[in-house]
This record gives sequence, structure tokens and C-alpha cells, in this order.
Amino acid sequence: MSEPLLSVDKLEVVYQRAITAVQGITLSAQQGQIVGILGTNGAGKTTLLRAISGFHGTDDARVTEGTIRFKGRRIENIEPHRIARSGIALVPEREKVFPNLTVAENLLVPAAPGLVLAERKRQEAQVLQFFPKLEELHARTAGLLSGGERQMLAIAAALVAKPELLLVDELSLGLAPVVVEDLAARLVQIRRELGITVLLVEQSAAVALEIADYSYVLENGRIVLDGDRARLTNHPDIQEFYLGQSSGKRRSYRDVKQYRRSRRWYG
Amino acid sequence: MLAAIYALIACGYVLVYRVSRVLNLAHGELMMLGAYALMLTAAQFTTYWPAAIAAAVGLSLLTGVLVYLFLMRKMTGEMVLAAVLTTVALGILLRGVMVLVWSAQQQYPAQALGVANTSIALPGGARISFFSALLILTTLLVYGALLSFLRFGRWGIRMRAAGQSPLLAAQRGINLHAVYALAWGLSTLTGALAGILIALDSGLDQTMAIIGLKAFPAALVGGLDSLVGALAGSLIVASAEVLLIHYVDPLLSEVVPFLVLIAMLVVRPWGLFGTREELDRV
Amino acid sequence: MSRRPRASGYFRTGYAQDLKLVETRTERWSLSAFLMALLAFPFFASPFQLDLANQVFLASIGALALMLLTGYAGQISLGHAGLLAAGAFTAGILFKEMNAPVWVTLPAATIAGALLGVVFGLPSLRLRGLYLAVSTLALHFLVVYLGGEYEARRGFSTGIVIDAPKLGGWTISGGRTWYFILGAFAGATLLLCLNLLRSGTGRAWAAIHAKETVAEALGIGVAAHKLLAFVISSALTALAGALFAYYRGFVSVEAFSLFLTIQYVAMIIIGGMGSLLGAILGAVFVTLFPYAIEAAIGALPGAQRYAGSLFAVNYAAFGVVMILFLVLEPLGLVGVWKRIQTYFLLWPFKHRPMPGSRR
Repeated sequence: MSEPLLSVDKLEVVYQRAITAVQGITLSAQQGQIVGILGTNGAGKTTLLRAISGFHGTDDARVTEGTIRFKGRRIENIEPHRIARSGIALVPEREKVFPNLTVAENLLVPAAPGLVLAERKRQEAQVLQFFPKLEELHARTAGLLSGGERQMLAIAAALVAKPELLLVDELSLGLAPVVVEDLAARLVQIRRELGITVLLVEQSAAVALEIADYSYVLENGRIVLDGDRARLTNHPDIQEFYLGQSSGKRRSYRDVKQYRRSRRWYG
Repeated sequence: MLAAIYALIACGYVLVYRVSRVLNLAHGELMMLGAYALMLTAAQFTTYWPAAIAAAVGLSLLTGVLVYLFLMRKMTGEMVLAAVLTTVALGILLRGVMVLVWSAQQQYPAQALGVANTSIALPGGARISFFSALLILTTLLVYGALLSFLRFGRWGIRMRAAGQSPLLAAQRGINLHAVYALAWGLSTLTGALAGILIALDSGLDQTMAIIGLKAFPAALVGGLDSLVGALAGSLIVASAEVLLIHYVDPLLSEVVPFLVLIAMLVVRPWGLFGTREELDRV
Repeated sequence: MSRRPRASGYFRTGYAQDLKLVETRTERWSLSAFLMALLAFPFFASPFQLDLANQVFLASIGALALMLLTGYAGQISLGHAGLLAAGAFTAGILFKEMNAPVWVTLPAATIAGALLGVVFGLPSLRLRGLYLAVSTLALHFLVVYLGGEYEARRGFSTGIVIDAPKLGGWTISGGRTWYFILGAFAGATLLLCLNLLRSGTGRAWAAIHAKETVAEALGIGVAAHKLLAFVISSALTALAGALFAYYRGFVSVEAFSLFLTIQYVAMIIIGGMGSLLGAILGAVFVTLFPYAIEAAIGALPGAQRYAGSLFAVNYAAFGVVMILFLVLEPLGLVGVWKRIQTYFLLWPFKHRPMPGSRR
């Protein structure tokens, strides 16, 4: 196996020097893979993503242990715009677009070092192929777009700088299932045609498991489970607690609690 | 004339506010510093006055960038109030230092440069002094340049983007510090231009900072994040001031801008051309 | 007697205990010792030191009032000098025009302040943060302009002279008498603030400070409480202004510049936002600062050379100190104090154990 594009090794992130949000996380993403990160609220998904994109500093969090390597270079605790320029683009959870700029202007904002103007234009045209709707809306102010359109624009804007790794924070958040399905299909198409690597953070296990080649499950800041699609979709815990497909009798609240607690101690 | 002064100063407020959401209450002092910088450069380039002005303006640009790098940079991410107060403190500091260095006496850089402030006859019988004309011209040029820069320039668009959502802008690979420093530099530059031209026209002393403060309502009336608004606001505030002084009471000159400001805040707090959601974000 | 470190928990077991302001025996002892020292101070101090102390008391009242408004209710005001001016001028004008005695002018000034508080507070119903600060700043200019106008119209262009106040047959004058009177006012203000803050009003302010929409949703009358904060703060400020007028025996708009506002804001920042102790510490610091600078410069060689520009040096030094506090210690003097306290409490450990941390 070649060296992975992104590898996180024994990562620990501490907020305000007191609260440990993620601990001992080790994961990797191979070139061209879609990697899913699953977990409920507070599991540490967003913290992990922020640490990779360099944004943990804004909340007074620091990577205290472990490393994050992108293309073999260490990127933990460096400034966000440098990370972005090295080829990692993020589709954030909230505030995805610049509301007072038009769609076209939004696409102009990303800095793309090493791309000459012609290349950039070509990349933009290619990205817009995935989202023909944006072409129609190019003069519209981004603040007036619908949730789905915003998500499209956010993905498109992340892609114009020709990144090698795309981080997507909550693809499905606040969107109708039809729209989510459509966007997920686009992501798969984008991965295929641009050969890009995608790290997808999701609360909705169904969405993530559908398109991710390999997934990690986070609980309380640790990885408790990982595996390819087949392994995870058939894992009883996943079926029970994330997909809600009960195998037989419905488990009580106490069982769920107990499950989580066991994960906390032994995971 | 007064409108042009206000407008030239007001765009400095707008630039910094728009990009970094910080209200720079030291703008008046920075502008004064620019005017005093002219006194410095005037001694160097006694022969050719445009060179002296250019040098002073260049110094101001540098000052603005340095102010950001060494002071305001530390305040990013802090409370808005704290950042604003830092600028207030900076203003106090600058004022003290300026009195120490250049004394509180009135000075006339125009004489130091050996330029005569000739008056030019205008069609219609009115007369206008050379530097006043220059000031109006400069204002128009500065606004033209800034507007097209923000509308079409790549860095201009990035500046607007950084103003709306700094986090996202950084995620898009924009160096926020560079953008902020640029905004501070440009803002100080335009302020210094105003300061220099006023000083050339009517002399220079410690009261100049008050003109700077009076231009601030103009920026707010127009909407703190809009350049066009600053222009319109300056026109409104200046004409209100001239009319009231003329017809009511000359003592009013100090308060008129603030009266207009209060009226505006009551009716339409986000200003003539400002964006509405700003209010909730502050 | 327990030797337990104090800051380690919530040990109150009844409402009576909850209502007490002074909790432990050590606290009671140190507090009464401090009060004794305060009472004894005027009998040992020089007139100059007394004057300083009086200025500190005056500043404390104003700073406490501003702290209520900004530090607790979260409403930024840059009109503080305007309010002080309003109080001083109410007292001055009433005295000059109607020869009103002090027991009329002081309440009148307070009421005038309260009314102005409504005016200052009205913008806060629509505006927040920066815009609110700006509107109060504009009102400041308006008040000062009106005061100046009055001076000019009535021919007191250098200011209004106020005679020493008389209560019955007793004339209040002399540093020592003023010391006790101003001290009592400052102490009363402090008690008022303490009690306000632990009442429902104080909690409502805290809620509004944290998040207005949520406070509204929790059933707190946001508008009413904001106005109340402005009214109380302004009334206290105007009272301080009136006392200032009597203490100096002189009112002039010159004294109420924007710089004064900045000084008060500096007090609550340097002292420490959201703390009454901070307001007082800040008042002490800011009031004494110019004198300290003066002394420091006097001690330097070649002092004569700088004597003329003392004002400018003061300005510059004040700016530097404010910047230093804002940048290095946003929590102010109280923050410094707390850190020292925690350091000794937790020694030899460096951090407080976090509840819920897993390690």
C-alpha cells in the first residue's frame, strides 16, 4: 500500500487547556478514497475536522499530541490559510458561503497558488459541470440561495482551487433527503472524475455508509469502530444504534446508555 | 468642500470596518499623524512639494500596516468593544506623542514647502483655493479607485469576503492578516491624504483630530460598510452643518454631525446604504 | 476553625447563609480591619492625600455605575462624561438660578440623570454593541453642547461657581468632612450594586448580557430591564456628577470631555469587566495614575524640561497602559488578582482539575 494522502496519528486535541475533545485518534485516507467519519453530537467529529483544516485555534483548542500528515508533511497547528493553500479544501458546517457576494464572486475568492489564470478558468468550468444550476444562478447574491444551492456553491467554491483533499462537514445537515441523495451522488461523481480524496463527516450514518469506501465511528473522542462499507453496514452495533434497524425487540434506554458507557471505558 | 473632507476621511472608517468589523476611533489621530509626517518630509524635499506629499502618504501607508501588525492583530478574535477601545487608547497615545514631538502650536506646512495657496476663479464667480480644489479632486479619485478595486479586483473581492466571514475566507486560502493589514494601510493612507491636504489649506494643530471624529457620523449615516454610503453621508452631514451654522447658530458646528447621527440611528440604524443584518452580527 | 481553602466549593446550606454578604470569619476580620483603616485614614493623611482619596471615591461611584451597565447588563455606553456633566449642571443651574439647597439639588440631579438614562437607553432597544456605543457618544456631545450653551448664554463662560453646600446650619467643607461624605456615598453605591446584582434584576441583566433572544424567550422583559439598567446607572452617574460639582465648587463643560468618558471606560477595563471590585480597583488606578506619572517624571533627571508637556506625557502613558491591559490582560486587575489566588490555592499543581475530564 502506498503512503496515504492524509494520515492522522494518535491525535489529541484539548480545548482551553482543560477539555480533551478527541484522544488517540489514528486514521488515514488513501488517494481517491471517500472516507466517512460517523458519530453523534459531541463525539469529536467537528473537532477532528477543524484540527485537520487548522481551525481549532479559533476556539482556543490545540493539538497537544500526535501528528497530522498531508502528502507526508506535518500540518498540525499551522495557520489555516496555509493548510488551504497546500491543497485541502473544506466545506464547512455553517457559514458555507459569503452571503453578500454573488455566486460568481464566491467562486473567485479562493486563493489557488500555482494555478495560472487559464488553468483556473478551466477548473472552474469543470466544477460548474457538476452543478449546472450554479451557472444559471451566477449573478444571484449567495445569501438568497436555498440550503441545497448553498451546499452546491460551497462544494464548488472548495473545488475551484483544485484541492487534493476535500473535507465535507455534515453534508446532510438541514437538507431534505432528496437533496442529500443528489449531493451524495455528485460527490461520488466528483471523486471519480477529479480523482480527489474526500473526508466526509456525518451524523447521518445512512448517508455516510452509502458513499464512503471506508468509515470510522467516533464516540466520546475516540475511534470505537472502523471498517469498509460491508463490515460496518452489517455490524450489529451500527445497525442498532446508528441505523436504527432493530434486529428483534427494541432495546430500552438503559441498554443504550450501557452500550455507550462500555464504549467509553473499553474503546 | 466640507463634504469632500468628510468623505475622504469617512472612507477610512468604512474600509477598516468593512473588512475587520472594527471601528477605528483613532482614525482622526492617524490622519493628523499623516499631516505631521508631511512636516517631516517637507524638511527633506524642500524643492519639490509633490515628492514631499508622496513620501508622507507612503509613510502613512506603512504606519497603518504597522499599527495592524503590532497592535490590532493581537485583538482579532477579541470582543468588538475591546478592539474599539484599543483604537481609542491608540488615539490617546498618538495624541500625547504628537504634542510631545511637534508641540501644540499651529503650523503651516504649506509655508514650509514654499507653495503658495493661490485661489482659482471658478465659473460663476466663486473662488476656491488651490488646495481645496486638489482636495475635492483627490476625494473623487480615491473613491473611484476604491470602488473599482472592491468591485472588480481579485483582492478587492477577497477583502469583501474576509469582511463577511473571516473563517470561511481563511478556509479558502486567504491570508486574513494580509487582508486586514492592507485595509488598515489603505485606510490610514486615505486619512493621511485628507490630513495633509487640510493642513496645506488651513494649517495644522491639535484640533484636527476633532474633524476626524466629526467625519465618523458621516460614515455611519451612509452605512458603515458602504463606500457609496460614506459619500452620500458626507454630503448630508456637511450640508446640514453648513446650513445650520449659517441660519441658526455657529456654536452648533461641533454637534451637528452628531445630531444627524442620532436622527439616523433612530430611523434607520444601519445607515442609508448599509446592510441590515450587520446589526445583529455586531 | 476550619483551615480549608475557601474557593473549593459551594457550602451554603440555607437561605440565610445565601443572603449573607460576608461569609467566613477571616473575611469578616479582614473586612472590618479594612473599614477601620478607611475610617482612620483621614486623621493621618495630608490634605493632598485626602484630596486623592476623595477623587477616588467620586470615581468609584461613576465606575460602579458604568460597571453595572457595561460589565453586567452588557450595554456599551460612551456617554458617561455626558451624564456626569448632566448631574453637575443640574446641581449648578439649580443652585445658580434658584439658590436651591443641597438636599434639593442632589435628588434633582439624580432624577435628571434617571430621565436622561431613559433617553440614553432608548437607542439600546433597537441598537446593539458598536452602534449603541456610537449613539451614546452622540448624546454625550449633545449634553455637553447644551451645557456649554447655557454657560455662554448666561455669561458664565468660565464656569459656574457653587458655594459649599449647607445642611441646616452646618457647612460642608474641608477635605476630612468630604472624605466621610463621599466615602459614605461610595459605600452606599457599592452596597446598592451588590444587592441589585444578586436580585432578580441582576440575574435578568446577566441573561440579557449573555444572549438577548434567549433571555426574551425565558420570559425576561428585555426592553424594561435594559432601560432599568440605563436609568439606574445614569442616576448614579449624575449623582456622582453633582457631588463632583459641590466638591470642586465649580462646574464647567471643559471638565467633561470625551477623555473623561474614556477614563471611566478605562477604569472598568483596567479593573476587570464584570466585577464590582474591578470597578473600584480601576477607579483607584486611573485616578492615581496621572499623579504617579507626575511623580515619576519629577524623579527623572532634567525634570524641568518635561514640565511643560506633562499633560502630553500623561496622555501617551495612559494610552500605553490601556493598550497593555487590553492586549495582555483582558480581565484586568481582578484577573491578575484571581490568577495569583488560584496559583496559591492549587500549588503545587498548575491547573484546576476540570469536572468531567477523563484522565
